[in-house]
Amino acid sequence: MFSSFRLSMAWLHTWFGLVLGYVLMVCFFFGSLSVFDREIDRWAIPESRFEPQPMPSYDKLLAPIFANLKPDAHELEEARGRVGGTLAATLPVMNWGAYTTHRDPVLLMFAEFAITNNKNDPDDHIHGLATIDPRSGKLLPADRLKIGSEFFYPMHYSLHLHWKDLGYWIVGLAALAMLAALVSGVVMHRKVFREFFTFRPKKQMQRSTLDLHNLTGVVALPFHFFFAFTGLVIFAGIYFPVSDTLLKPLAQQHAMAEAQAKGLAFKPAGVAAPMASVDAMVVEAKRRWQARGMPGEVGFLTVNHVGDINGYVSVFRAGSDRVTLVGQGVHFEATSGKLLREDPPPTAVTGINEFLTGLHLQHFEHWLLRWLYVLGGLLGCVCIATGFVFFVEKRKRQHARTGTGGVRWVDALAVSTVTGMVIAALSILVANRLLPADLPQRGTWEEAAFWSVWLLALVHAFWRTAPVLQANIAPAWREQCWAIAALAVLAVLLNWVTTGDHLWNTLREGYWPVAGLDLALLAAAWLAVGAARKLHKLNKPERGAALPRPEPREDGAAEGQTPQGVPVAARVSHG
Amino acid sequence: MNPVATTRIPAAQIASRIAAAVLGSWAFSWGFVSLTITALVAGGQTYTEAHTVAMLLAFLVLLIAFCWSFGTSSLSRVWAVLAGGAALMTGAAWCLQRSLL
Repeated sequence: MFSSFRLSMAWLHTWFGLVLGYVLMVCFFFGSLSVFDREIDRWAIPESRFEPQPMPSYDKLLAPIFANLKPDAHELEEARGRVGGTLAATLPVMNWGAYTTHRDPVLLMFAEFAITNNKNDPDDHIHGLATIDPRSGKLLPADRLKIGSEFFYPMHYSLHLHWKDLGYWIVGLAALAMLAALVSGVVMHRKVFREFFTFRPKKQMQRSTLDLHNLTGVVALPFHFFFAFTGLVIFAGIYFPVSDTLLKPLAQQHAMAEAQAKGLAFKPAGVAAPMASVDAMVVEAKRRWQARGMPGEVGFLTVNHVGDINGYVSVFRAGSDRVTLVGQGVHFEATSGKLLREDPPPTAVTGINEFLTGLHLQHFEHWLLRWLYVLGGLLGCVCIATGFVFFVEKRKRQHARTGTGGVRWVDALAVSTVTGMVIAALSILVANRLLPADLPQRGTWEEAAFWSVWLLALVHAFWRTAPVLQANIAPAWREQCWAIAALAVLAVLLNWVTTGDHLWNTLREGYWPVAGLDLALLAAAWLAVGAARKLHKLNKPERGAALPRPEPREDGAAEGQTPQGVPVAARVSHG
Repeated sequence: MNPVATTRIPAAQIASRIAAAVLGSWAFSWGFVSLTITALVAGGQTYTEAHTVAMLLAFLVLLIAFCWSFGTSSLSRVWAVLAGGAALMTGAAWCLQRSLL
């Protein structure tokens, strides 16, 4: 199909990069925001603007809240669909859990409820969630959307497309395309080292765009490879569900044997039994961590087989001071508080896996690295966005000559996923501050604002990219930059008006979760104004530039492609 | 395969190659994962450990298979290796699992 290996890699880079680049843009941008997901939550839920708290007392505070947890209404509805009828009046509780990190003022609690009458899946279960103020035990209203950790964060790996896990699969394919784009990008450009230092912003747009594409791609190459790769590894169980299908018998056999070897019951016995003091177990777990030379706080606490004689409590150490998320589990018999097991140090393979996934998820304490993640993620966005712009710049004159409209659609989608996505993200923040505090289903309205504004940006992008047909720069870019600037400033002002936490206050008090986001919003506005003004200037000499121009031979992408190679690639899309 | 780059590539060929790269590589990696896990368990590793090893390698195998299916000129060879390899490894894993249960 291709006359050379290099040409085949160029084809792969161009077309997979273009089609899945739109998805990658979403992954990289919302992934970057997820680095500060807890901080964005604080901005969005003013009631939760207080200092991070340690895991509160189980016996005094958590136990009654756990006992009152209800299954999620939406999951209940779905479960009814799965069993094709009615469910038991009260679903038996299987497990309880609470998770916190060094950045969480509020505590996330969850319960798992068994669906006993699903013939197709005896292990079927649903969840119930609650977020509490750990100082008082007061529940946060369930319809308060944690925009950072419940909206932006899942967006970057699931796109909020939950039907048959479709979002995960699309993101997985995009991650594979990202890895392949990095490999093929290196194959295409032999002079990787030189590109490290090459950026000629004063050259014509196509040239400087490609410089920037190569520079950001090469500078952050290990970062991009690492995140795409570990992202796939984290969801390996979804992409290769062998343990639930082909190898289920073997997996089950080993899980049971492992539980037996650990002394942790695999299944409940069906005999009810009361629980001993969990606080005493936490004290004992902390004593054991101290004895191992690693004193720490509780990050994750679970009660397994709730209310059963086989029940056990697992206490995991928060990984604030190491890469692994949580670890050093200590397990106790629930009825007596007797120690059942202390997890040994991880094996080499498990250690590598925990290190890689821990480095991706980054729940440890390292603020400089946290900012470097944001920088790396945004460099990825620049790399992808300049890829789109280069694609358009390279073809628009030829398309204008031959009257084909392909690049216009590419440009419109690029506008929607670059500036349009930022506009949508800003809109959910603005909606969060504008909607009445007591509006029922408030979170759903916030999400609706996000999606409808994004749709609006898409329509605008398709409408205002017509000048690309005459080989000019689409005004959509410039106009959406102005929208970004306006919305970002508006969000900062609304935060001030509705909460009184303006920058002067938050900076003076050193309350960085809110001050940081406000500053980031202002920085985004400043950048957007700069971009809009630059685009305005660029557009003037560009007018009427639809003359045929030869491809520059120094062009890195064209290297190794025969001059005829380009039209092949261009024609494939329309043929 | 046409050696002249300027010749228009039939859409069916493009589609077949993309299908081989996406579906074929995934099936091949599925076989690799299954066989690696069962082989390691047969060799005395725990299932969890074997699963972790397989998953750390799976996406590298997937990436190599994916790039290779574009870089190789013969499309029939791509399909033969990926589909054949997938079937062989999955079959072998299934047989091995039966002997382990």
